[in-house]
Amino acid sequence: MRRLSIAKQEWDTNLSQLLSKYRIYAPIRNGTNCDYLEVQSALIPHIAYNEPKPVTPLKKFFLPVRENVTRVAVFDKPSLIIGAPNCDVEALGLLDQIYLDSAFPDESYRKRRENTTILCTDCLSINEHCHCTSYGLEPKGNMKSDLSLIRMDGDVILNVYSEKGEALLGSMNINGAPEPGRELEEVISKKSGEVMEQLTRQYPELPDYQLSGELVNGAGEKVWEQFSSDCVSCGACSAICPTCSCFLLVDRPGFEKIRQLDTCQYPGFERVAGGEDPLRELAERFRNRYMCKYVWKPGLYQEKACTGCGRCIDCCIGQINKNELLISLKE
Amino acid sequence: MGMNGNIYKPLRSELIEVIEESPQIKTFVLVPEHEFSFATGQFIEVTIDGVGEAPFTPSSSPLEKEKLEVTVMKTGYVTDRMHTLGPGAVLGIRGPFGRGYPVERFYDKEVLILGGGCGFAPIRSLLYNLKAISDKIRKVTLCYGSKTPEDCIYKPYIKELRATPKFEVLRSVDQANGDWTERVGVVTILLDDVKMDISNSVAVVCGPPVMMKYGTFKLLEMGYPEEDIYLSMEKNMSCGLGKCGHCMMGKYLVCKDGPVFTYNEIKNQPHIWN
Repeated sequence: MRRLSIAKQEWDTNLSQLLSKYRIYAPIRNGTNCDYLEVQSALIPHIAYNEPKPVTPLKKFFLPVRENVTRVAVFDKPSLIIGAPNCDVEALGLLDQIYLDSAFPDESYRKRRENTTILCTDCLSINEHCHCTSYGLEPKGNMKSDLSLIRMDGDVILNVYSEKGEALLGSMNINGAPEPGRELEEVISKKSGEVMEQLTRQYPELPDYQLSGELVNGAGEKVWEQFSSDCVSCGACSAICPTCSCFLLVDRPGFEKIRQLDTCQYPGFERVAGGEDPLRELAERFRNRYMCKYVWKPGLYQEKACTGCGRCIDCCIGQINKNELLISLKE
Repeated sequence: MGMNGNIYKPLRSELIEVIEESPQIKTFVLVPEHEFSFATGQFIEVTIDGVGEAPFTPSSSPLEKEKLEVTVMKTGYVTDRMHTLGPGAVLGIRGPFGRGYPVERFYDKEVLILGGGCGFAPIRSLLYNLKAISDKIRKVTLCYGSKTPEDCIYKPYIKELRATPKFEVLRSVDQANGDWTERVGVVTILLDDVKMDISNSVAVVCGPPVMMKYGTFKLLEMGYPEEDIYLSMEKNMSCGLGKCGHCMMGKYLVCKDGPVFTYNEIKNQPHIWN
């Protein structure tokens, strides 16, 4: 890993020049909403750095809601995604295992992954339901991304982790940028300590990931009936989840197939032609998602299938809080 | 689908013959554009262009490389359309997918096969395979059940099998009519008639969920160990690639880890019988 520091103005100038080589996406704040937009020069000063999770999970860059997967995906430029939070980057670990599986690699996913440089953000604040630390993660860049960035006052501190990260730096005009000074490091370390502190106060009672799995596995029918009573099977929790990646193949003339994101929360997800449907009951579908997240997927892939982003809690129109459910299982 | 090809792109295959097996079941004989091979018990995805795709385990011999057969019950959106097709139609196939029957584990054993309805399809492929290696197998007993005598499929094949050394066939129907001379009742009653050296035997079950369930329970009662009962699971395998999630059965993806499992492997997973 390489760590260097440049002035914010210099960073912005370089980004502006990078626009000719990369398609750049970054979170832009719009009122209370902060989400990815494709960046043009005029937007560069408005990029929201070090904000917690954008509304849209990172997966949407690699698994579009709908995509013709029988055609070859062609990209005019490589992509650079700025501001991906670590909860989303961690989630890609699971998606990579599913979609880059050596026996059956998904070409479209693979090309998008290869074509994209991910610049992770160190979160310097948190959102209402953020709880990555409950699952042993930290809200900062690591080796799973290509680079990470902290903007502190007038400085931009970059960590470079991968070859793609080095390539990005190589196409910028920042030769000889120094490591951040001790004073700056101290400020960063203090700030990131505060954020960690805030995160641990979020859900102090929440069981950790492994215990959650054991509790979910042992939970009785009553729990699922009780907590699913406000679920309307809208599927928002899955759509917005950085690790949910189930899909439906839709046929089009010419033996073409559309990969369209789907969810076990929709009725009929597991129904077979003969009519049997293991997930016919709402409570069964509801339970299925928890079992998948905390028991089955980690067993199949040795990766966490919930990274504590809390988006499913943010978006639930039935106001179901999965952490309240998990905490209740401890009682 | 070649190893380097697009995993979602079907291989064009010409439908050269349609065999009517029963009022609800037809066998479709397909000639893929390129050589296509599978292991018995593995499944393929069959596409009707622009309509939809559904998983089937080929019912033909895995040793046959030029063509393959799928035996399909008219039971849903894709299969209803399939039943309207005739020779000359071009279908798509993807695969083969998953883990089939571990035939080498049947060596020197007596093989008891319990099948119901259209569940005979994967079994026929297995029977072709076992016949080709019959010197390595002690004997094969097929117990097959269907609703009525009209619903019994593969009638000519049954005749052929009955004339094959080491192979025996017992049949039952839920409801008989005038000409039926074999057993009447649910398929599991046939198990009362078989004589197997259970300590030296494996059992294979394939059929509708309810039959799989009671068939398995009866085999357990007879003394078959859980790890010697092979079940071919039916789930909503949509992509066949272990990605789409539709066939998740607890900790397994049926399309990848199955469709053939031992009872021992899946007994603690949810919804195995529906």
